[in-house]
Amino acid sequence: MRIGDAKQSYEADEAIWSSSTQKIWFAFFLLALAAFPFMADAYLLYMGCLVGIAVISTTGLNILTGFTGLISLGQAGFMGVGGYTVAWLSMNTALPFPVTLVLAGLLAAAVGILVGLPSLRVKGLYLAIATLAASVFLHFIFAEWESVTGGMGGMSLEPAHLFGLTFQTDFQMYFIIVPLAVLMVFAAKNVFRTRTGRAFIAIRDRDISAEILGINLLRYKLMSFALSSFYAGVAGGLFAYFYRVVTPESFPLSMSIFYLAAVIVGGMGNLLGGILGAAFMTLIPELLGMLTTALTPYYPNAPVFMSPMLGIIFGALIVGFLIYEPHGLAEIWHRIRRFFSLWPFKN
Amino acid sequence: MFKSILNKGRRLAGIGSIAAALVAAAPAMAQDKEPIVFGGSIPLSGVFAFAGVHIHAGLTDYTSWINNQGGINGHPVKYVMEDTGYEVDRSVAAFKKITGSNKVPVYYGDSTGFMKTIASELNSRGTTLMSGASFATALTDNEQYPYQFIPGPNYSQMFGIILEYIATQGKDGDMPTVAFVYSDTEFGKDPIENGKAKAAEMGIEVVEEIVTKPGSVDVSAEILKLRRVRPDFVVFHGYVLSPINEFMVQMRQMGLDTKFMGTFWSTDKLIIDKMGADADGYMGVMPYNYYDSAEGGPMLDALRATAEKSDPDAGYRPTGYMQGWFNAMVWTEVIKRTMDAGKELTAENMAESLASIKDWDTGGIIGIPVTVHDMSFPVGRIWRVNAKEARYEPVSDWIHLD
Repeated sequence: MRIGDAKQSYEADEAIWSSSTQKIWFAFFLLALAAFPFMADAYLLYMGCLVGIAVISTTGLNILTGFTGLISLGQAGFMGVGGYTVAWLSMNTALPFPVTLVLAGLLAAAVGILVGLPSLRVKGLYLAIATLAASVFLHFIFAEWESVTGGMGGMSLEPAHLFGLTFQTDFQMYFIIVPLAVLMVFAAKNVFRTRTGRAFIAIRDRDISAEILGINLLRYKLMSFALSSFYAGVAGGLFAYFYRVVTPESFPLSMSIFYLAAVIVGGMGNLLGGILGAAFMTLIPELLGMLTTALTPYYPNAPVFMSPMLGIIFGALIVGFLIYEPHGLAEIWHRIRRFFSLWPFKN
Repeated sequence: MFKSILNKGRRLAGIGSIAAALVAAAPAMAQDKEPIVFGGSIPLSGVFAFAGVHIHAGLTDYTSWINNQGGINGHPVKYVMEDTGYEVDRSVAAFKKITGSNKVPVYYGDSTGFMKTIASELNSRGTTLMSGASFATALTDNEQYPYQFIPGPNYSQMFGIILEYIATQGKDGDMPTVAFVYSDTEFGKDPIENGKAKAAEMGIEVVEEIVTKPGSVDVSAEILKLRRVRPDFVVFHGYVLSPINEFMVQMRQMGLDTKFMGTFWSTDKLIIDKMGADADGYMGVMPYNYYDSAEGGPMLDALRATAEKSDPDAGYRPTGYMQGWFNAMVWTEVIKRTMDAGKELTAENMAESLASIKDWDTGGIIGIPVTVHDMSFPVGRIWRVNAKEARYEPVSDWIHLD
């Protein structure tokens, strides 16, 4: 039985793994992720890919909102920049997907820096409105710059390709999306072991104190916006390859709210929270839908009755989490872990 | 003695129960064949739920009706659906779930976004023919969407039908003028370019074009623009209700005698219910007869009887119901034609069967025999609101575009 982690050095405090048990469990988790597409049906595979994309985007938003304390309603817009970049490159160049995805991330990061400029003067709700305005502006560009974006009709894409291989089916896309999601979460984890990541956290906790400590607010706030938008751009690029069509309506404002809700429900400032939040927000409507399917043989009118109810249940679940577990799903997860670690003793 | 009577009785009861079982099983044996699945991503919740619940009812009732008729060539029909909340990712999830656990030859898509998104998968699978709530012009591009069809005229064709009607309304040899008011969405912008081209071809001047947000309320600035140009007709597209009501009420208050027209999703009873007497005179294009229209026909009568039976308290059934029913009717016809030709139910074979539909009698759902052109049914009629009767009445003949 392991009863705690005594961290006696800064290295130990910064370590990704606090015990070898964690490494073993993580290895099992990776194995399960690798085996999943060989056992899952088309529906589960699709959901797996969707969760993967959501994890990348939520992690990006978590860096900005959860770790740096800068609220953003522009995530869908940044994803749109990534999506359209990939779409345009796929139709006009023969670049392989790793290059298009990186370019999508970089362009989104550049746009993120521009959008982040007001964050030097405003924060909280004011910044939310500034990013919302940016999102509306980006939506306008997607809809009106017809020669590049295809206007309201959008663009269709060629499948992702690399070394002559094309990635067309959900099965094939899974092997792009999920490894990339794992990689990007790991990259984010490492960011917070560096001075940059700690500077983000210092800005979140008290920006004036951070500045007194020598942290350049301009540089680090814009860096956080850039990093977050890079994640969104890559997620948007994957979204475009996955669905192989992008339209302005592919990236609505509700998508930004979805990701913000995922960060809050999962646990702000906690990478695991972002993952759990993304999975929760993506899968719960589906799980609730299964409830309807289970009831339909007994009550043929169940879909009509239950569908509006599911929205209410989903909303109530979110409110419930916020009231009873403000630290999000990540805290629930930690509590469960603690229970098993300390079993049979009470925590 | 008593024992022998008892035994005889038991034997008779046994024979009787076997006979009863056989009688009961007869229809079931007739439908012993593999069921044909109608799949659907249906928006029972979300912003399109106002139509989704009726589309669902139409599909459900048609399924029940066709099964009572012995199914399709003896195959019973099973309707399998999932609610999508009118969200593309959930619609795709529903499609994957339903097609993953059933063999689905025909499928109902709930939006243009979903139908475009699923197109590449639909094309590579080659197993499913799709139609749905969308009348988008883009979906009639047979190169890109070979396995999707429109259960009526597409939006550009609806504009064509409206303009054909407007062309007949000129006075003293002058063509009426028209203004297009549409929403700033893919849906709203869909028919505008084709509509302008068609108007130019017919000599109808488009005197103003106004773009608004869907559901806008304050449109006074736009109304002033229309007052300046005084169009004879304003054609709305890309809305369900607002801002149509705002335009109509305010322009009438200004003393303009402009006539107002709309397309499929804005030509339902909702406008009458919400606007009351102000809706009087509003016109729209509708490819199907209304549930409460004076028209009849064997299929329209069957629809009304089935609707009445399934929910006697529902009363009037909106156009979403008619659309759901008609979609399923077309699927049945296509599947039947494919089976009768001895072909497999692949998307390609079914698309061929669809394209072969010529002068098809829909039993009163559409008032004239219809022919498929470019994966759509380019037919419709102009209907006008009689607010006093709270119903739409036809003001044109059926117009079939070539």
